[in-house]
Amino acid sequence: MTVREPIAVVGLDCRFPGARDAQEYWALLMDGRDGTGRVPEQRWDAERYHAVPPSAPQSAREARPPGRSNTVRGGFIHDPDAFDPAFFGIAPREAAAMDPQQRLLLQCSWRAIEDAAIAPQDLAGTATGVFVGVMANEWAYLALKDYDTITARYGSGNGYFMGANRVSYHLDLKGPSLAVDTACSSSLVAVHLAMNSLRWGECDHALVAGTNLIMTPVINIFYTQAGLSAPDGRCKPFSAAADGIGRAEGVAVLMLRRLSDALADRQPVYAVLKETGSNQDGRSNGITAPNRWAQEQLIESVWQRAGITADDIGFIEAHGTGTLLGDFIEAQALGRLTSGRSGGSVALGSVKSNFGHAEGAAGIAGLIKAVLALHHRTVPPSRFAHDENPKLDLPGQRLSLLKSPLRLPSGTVHAAVSSFGMGGSNAHAVLASAPRVVHRTRPGAPGVFTVSARGPERLRANLLAQADALSRRPGDQLAQLCWTSNRVKSRLPHRVAVAAADLPTLVAELRKAAERGDERGATRRAAPSVAFAFTGQGAQHPGMAAQWYRSCPAYALHFDEVDKLLAPHTGQSVRDLILDGDPEIHRARLAQPALFAVGYAMAATLTEAGIKPSYVIGHSIGEFAAACVAGALDPADAARLVARRGELMETLPEDGGMLAVALDAAEVEPLLAGRQRLGLAAVNGPRRTVVAGDLGELTALKAELTERKVAARPLTVSHAFHSPLMQPMVEEFRRACADVSDRRPNLPFLSTVHGRELTGDQTLDADYWARQITAPVRFAEAAHALLTTDITHVVEIGPASVLTPLLARLRTAAGSTASLHTAHPGEHAPGHRPQQLFGELWCAGLTPDWDVLYTESDRLPRRLPPYLFDESFRAWRSGSAPDRPEPSVPPTGADAAVPPLTDRGESCPPTPAGELPDSLAALARRLVCRVGGHDPDLLHDDTRLHEDLGFDSIQAMELKTRIESELPQLGTLPVEELLESMRTVGDLVRYLRDRDLADAAVTLTPEGTG
Amino acid sequence: MTAPTAHLASVGTCLPGEPVDNATLAKFVGVDETWAEMFIGNTSRYFAVDLATGQVRYSLADIAATAADRALAEAGLGPSDIDCVVMGTATPDHLMPATVNLVADRLGIDNVPTYQLQSGCAGAVQALDVARTLLLAGRCATVLVIGGDVCAKHLERDFDPGSRTSAELVNYALFGDGAGAAVLSTDPLGTGIAIRQVLNRLVGLGREPGQIIDWFGLGDRHSDRPAVSEDYKAIEETVPPLAQQMFWELLGDLGWGADQVDFLLPPQLSGRMSDRISAAMPAPGARRINVVRTVGNNGNALPFLQLAELLSQWDGPGRAVAVAVESSKWIKSGFALERS
Repeated sequence: MTVREPIAVVGLDCRFPGARDAQEYWALLMDGRDGTGRVPEQRWDAERYHAVPPSAPQSAREARPPGRSNTVRGGFIHDPDAFDPAFFGIAPREAAAMDPQQRLLLQCSWRAIEDAAIAPQDLAGTATGVFVGVMANEWAYLALKDYDTITARYGSGNGYFMGANRVSYHLDLKGPSLAVDTACSSSLVAVHLAMNSLRWGECDHALVAGTNLIMTPVINIFYTQAGLSAPDGRCKPFSAAADGIGRAEGVAVLMLRRLSDALADRQPVYAVLKETGSNQDGRSNGITAPNRWAQEQLIESVWQRAGITADDIGFIEAHGTGTLLGDFIEAQALGRLTSGRSGGSVALGSVKSNFGHAEGAAGIAGLIKAVLALHHRTVPPSRFAHDENPKLDLPGQRLSLLKSPLRLPSGTVHAAVSSFGMGGSNAHAVLASAPRVVHRTRPGAPGVFTVSARGPERLRANLLAQADALSRRPGDQLAQLCWTSNRVKSRLPHRVAVAAADLPTLVAELRKAAERGDERGATRRAAPSVAFAFTGQGAQHPGMAAQWYRSCPAYALHFDEVDKLLAPHTGQSVRDLILDGDPEIHRARLAQPALFAVGYAMAATLTEAGIKPSYVIGHSIGEFAAACVAGALDPADAARLVARRGELMETLPEDGGMLAVALDAAEVEPLLAGRQRLGLAAVNGPRRTVVAGDLGELTALKAELTERKVAARPLTVSHAFHSPLMQPMVEEFRRACADVSDRRPNLPFLSTVHGRELTGDQTLDADYWARQITAPVRFAEAAHALLTTDITHVVEIGPASVLTPLLARLRTAAGSTASLHTAHPGEHAPGHRPQQLFGELWCAGLTPDWDVLYTESDRLPRRLPPYLFDESFRAWRSGSAPDRPEPSVPPTGADAAVPPLTDRGESCPPTPAGELPDSLAALARRLVCRVGGHDPDLLHDDTRLHEDLGFDSIQAMELKTRIESELPQLGTLPVEELLESMRTVGDLVRYLRDRDLADAAVTLTPEGTG
Repeated sequence: MTAPTAHLASVGTCLPGEPVDNATLAKFVGVDETWAEMFIGNTSRYFAVDLATGQVRYSLADIAATAADRALAEAGLGPSDIDCVVMGTATPDHLMPATVNLVADRLGIDNVPTYQLQSGCAGAVQALDVARTLLLAGRCATVLVIGGDVCAKHLERDFDPGSRTSAELVNYALFGDGAGAAVLSTDPLGTGIAIRQVLNRLVGLGREPGQIIDWFGLGDRHSDRPAVSEDYKAIEETVPPLAQQMFWELLGDLGWGADQVDFLLPPQLSGRMSDRISAAMPAPGARRINVVRTVGNNGNALPFLQLAELLSQWDGPGRAVAVAVESSKWIKSGFALERS
């Protein structure tokens, strides 16, 4: 962290007129489209507050009818009334009372964080700052006009100061949180504050926003009355057609981080903020006047701190409001810095040309344009550039308005963004293109893509949005895109997971899921309680769970580890055996260690992923891995024992078999009486009993059962496990177990020897393991005991689905609602089975740590489309004049009421139409008085307009309009000339006289009239 | 300011699906396995179409975008870093829009010049030539070059085994699908290899085309012209001398001696023919980079597959020369690489 640490723009979201998101914003800019439109009916009745000034107004009142705006157009965003209150846990009534700016800020913030490939939930509780540039508080004007209806929620829903706090509150962000109002430069000043906050280490992430919603015609009327409003509602910056401001809306959020942090996290970076600055005009040429010197000074100092000169700047996103004066001053200020530039001109543009002046969101609108331009290495054109204002002499300043997109060169490119506020608070930023970073992809790596939403309908919409975006991505990014979805989009209750090994399949499956609407919704369990059920012998098959080894790096590591433990005892690598698909796996000598290895590695993988069991149960050989997981057996001991166990069993004569009988254990036991070489081998459930022992006796038993019409099926086994035939090896195995420490399990261990949970001082000692060889596997009883606990999920650990169907039958009897899962369904499992399983467990309400599924190179954040919110909720207040009766009299009428303001100028009799002024000097004085409301008696030739009369740029422009309408023969007065002449009243009169004479000369020349 | 150098920043390739061996080919399209092995010499190839079901799984744009994305990732570049895209192919997905523009869209590349060359086996070299020329002229700093072909259109699964002509059978055993891409840059990114020379020459005056790939529309779709035809005799006779000429011309231009060439990338026709041409080429000491035997003849992708193989074998300083000959209307082409 350094004083000059560059700040990365890592995420963004925005809504501007004609653009619902950043992608549409970019398209609007690149196409050079016009985002303006008529004032939507919902806002206010545009006609009611509209007045077209007559072409030859008889009076100032007529030129600017009070309470009226000269335009019915502006830049309005779509659906500003839509919000998703349920998503943020806000009551609809509260949402309806909230300023829509707060609502949209919340949604944009969420989306900007997601765009940064971060889950908003991961920022909860962190030192994340929120800096919101805002100047419009119109909702409060509308909502708080009736004191009697003010409730608590009205208080918190109103006031722009709540904009930032609202975001911090709902997202639980604990860094600085402030609304910034410096008028039209608010949002770029907010960026400046966020930048400093990040550099100081006050916060690690910062959301910077700008917002502006136009709910009333107040500022339209103000702009009109001040002579600043463009009649067509469009800003035409630096254009000869520039005739004032068109107002616009916008809500935008940027996600910022220190560049070093972003790079360390391999986060995608749009662009880098090198330096920002802010200053004030001070006592300039009037409080609303822009100040060339202040602008120049600010820009120069920011460039200097950024270590760049005009030569390094690729393009400038200007404030560019499209007022003659503002454009003139800005071009002059920039020109002082750029005119000496080497090489060609520097590109100049202003996004205001596309939809107008977004006031509180204007700075960030320009900033996002610059950020996207650096990201795409292309600068969008500026509208109205084809009609450049020649008086600005842009070529002389080495500034060129972009008529078509500009392709930026490779390497580091710099851009500058200006935003100036009425009242004199200026802001400027220098950006650079993001540093080049090398990221490798691993072709063919599988993944599981997760989409979640607050409700089923939104889930479908979001599934389709993701599918569309993924269909346009290169195939190798599959695993990275999946990992990002796990990281960013896996926290909401309604869920769909799709595992895939290639992108087209993933896209197709996401679309199918959207069509089916088969989400597993809202599995909300306060505390999930998971059991691992380890499969026993019989589940083994050649190449078993090799899919796990190949597609899950964590499993491969655990498996290698256990293979190393086994190798000294098995004399060969169980891993190689499995990966080669060797059928030798069926021999007890190999099957038992291999099953142990698979179970152990799977359990270790799930545990590593945070799926930790609260209970374990193992079927026969499965109890060894279960004991390891429960901490009752060291993996090294377990490896030695299972190898020895299998080996000893294999040395026994192959004269035994096993028979599955469709009877209850209690019905089978009497049949075994007198059959010394048979035993009850396993009690798997109702009518699921296994008998084992001498092949001859088994055949006899089977015949007897067949006669009684009882189904009995011999199992394909080499030996009669869990039968008296195993007795010869028991003592030897007990000796092998002798040095195993008799630790008690640290988890509830459902013993299938005892048929219940191991309790009291029962341990897994040598006796236990010895007894386990011949004792029946009392799975049904143990599983029943398990299912009557608070268990919520059971995962069968092993290479096939054997216990799951048994558990499913037992579950009903136990009255359990636990969800059952099979880690690996068998040999036909797809190559990406681990990914599938994780998705399945997540849909069932568990929260796996997805990282274990991906290699380090695939744990790379990639941008995915942000969440699509529900838009069905709507709340809005239309803007009518709050406390005044409707204007019933046409204000342009001859008998319009005289406003209560003391306007000394109005006391002067208006100049009769068609009559030349008696004296130009008298008229000039009268107009100056009228504009400023001054006493004509106090006006002298040496009175200074700015210093003495407080003329600012708005008044200067108003004066210009009045002079032009009173003295039409003078034509349009060039703004720069007029400003030059406005030092004193005497200067003004001299200027007008010179101009009058010049014009007269022209009119006397016949050629001049043509 | 010194003149810019064109560097080979990275290479990416994409071979669709799993390799199809001769036994599988025999099963689905009736090519005799032993014959394919003996006379063509190719042992496997890749198809964008699933031979078992006939389903087209990938378009040229799909595999070209994947190859290009791999090249971009390898170079550590994003789509916005690319100033120009040049693609060579004989088998575009459509006549319009050009596949290069679909690939650009897939990668997120916009507002840059793009070119597609209608080309055969020399197409990759032609594309490199255009790219290098733009780089040396200072028009661009980073160019994405792509080559690829997909022959799904010409794979007929529904057939009468007895009716195949031997020329048709050769085609089945010979061709395959694939795409390759390279990033060229004036910045010495990635491999540290400079592209010293790229040459292309049409030498078809008065010569009958050695290979024709036809195309049909609504008006002539029922015509009995073959979609693909080759004059294998002419190819066998003409390619080796043209390849040698190109080799010498490149060396002459650069003032290199044959003994200074460390790697040679010969024309890739079939496994057998490439071996023969390769052995007869000058510079016996240069290590040969042949890939067609296992990847099949995938036309415009081949030089990129050779480059990828070259990069895996080449470390340290050295020189490499590649030659490709297009036998349609006869084009000889080649390029020379150097790492100092």
